[in-house]
Formats: sequence, C-alpha cells, structure tokens
Amino acid sequence: MSKYFAVKTTANQERVVANLMEMTVKKYRLGVYSVLAPRELKGYVIVEAEKMEDLLTAIRGLPHVKGVVKGETALAEIEHFLAPRKAAEQIKEGFKVEIVSGPFKGELAVVKRVDEAKNEITVELIEAVVPIPVTVKADHVRIVDKSEEV
Amino acid sequence: MTELACRKCKFINIDSTVCKNCGSTELTREWYGYLIIIDPEKSEVAKKLGIKIPGKYALKVG
Repeated sequence: MSKYFAVKTTANQERVVANLMEMTVKKYRLGVYSVLAPRELKGYVIVEAEKMEDLLTAIRGLPHVKGVVKGETALAEIEHFLAPRKAAEQIKEGFKVEIVSGPFKGELAVVKRVDEAKNEITVELIEAVVPIPVTVKADHVRIVDKSEEV
Repeated sequence: MTELACRKCKFINIDSTVCKNCGSTELTREWYGYLIIIDPEKSEVAKKLGIKIPGKYALKVG
C-alpha cells in the first residue's frame, strides 16, 4: 500500500527536485514509486512511497528541498491533479469572471459564449459603456461568481 | 535540450522527433504537469493512468 507525501521545494524547481529524486531512488533502490509535480501546486512535489523512511533517504542532501509536510495525504486528494480538466469546461455562460492577463487585466466581465474545443471564452466587459464581445483564453480568467445571471 | 511530450501517450522525449514509448511522431512542446513513474508495478498512480513503462510523463498535453 503506497503512501503519499508532500515535499516542499523552492518555487519553479519542482522538476529539478523530481529528477534528482528519481536518480537517488534508482541508485539506492528505494521504495519510492512515483513523483508528481503538478503545475497547479507551486513549490511542492507529491511523492508516492512505500514508507516515510524511503522518502527521507531519497531527499537527504538534495538541493532545493525545503522540507516534508507533516502527515500524509491520500490518493483521493491528488486524483484531480492526474486528470486536469480544461479550464473552459468549468466555465458556463452567464458566469461573472475576472480577466487575469492581457490588455484587459483586472476587468470584470460576463461570459457570453464558451468554446470548449478551442479552450476559449467570449466575454463582455461589465464596465464598458458599449458592450463589446472579447474572446480570451479560458486560462486567462478567474471565476468570480457562478450565479449565471444573464 | 528540448523536452517534447507525445500527444498520444504523454511520454516526455528529450531531443527526439519520434516518441520512444509508442513510436508516434506527434510530439508537442505545449504540455504541463510533470510525473515521474519509477516503479509502474507498485505505483497506484501509474495504475490509475494505465502507465506500464517507467519514465517521465506530462499530465496534460496541448
């Protein structure tokens, strides 16, 4: 039965840590089965190991490792990292969103259309005097209100 | 060094135009999420994703 642990790393060095861990695990044949570095989880890697001791041996002396999070986590808690859903699938027409990048950064808008295939959404800015439809990438917005007011 | 992920099996290939896992030529630079499978026989994560070959994989491609 595997156990899951979270290891704190330097931000943006998750892949480096994962690669180094892979090397130590292979070298010493430790009971570490997989290392996961999801994009959503900055500064951490999730390690699937047989027991805590194996993990501690694997990370001993590695650069960019800042520590191990106390306690263990379960497969159910990391499942959603394994099959990331497209951002557009979580957005529905009528949702209030905030644009987080591009020329309209910081603007609030209402979703008018969702294109799941292209992962794009068409929105209308709330504060604009004349409503102009703007098409943006679904990853570039943050959902503010899911009330679907039209 | 370019890391390219296979669109079919999500395997990450380094400096290669053909996927070393499944032989597909559909590789992409656009991928994110990083997963290293060390022991696919014992790993529950590998079983869940249907991975049988140890290696580096992308979580999402394209």
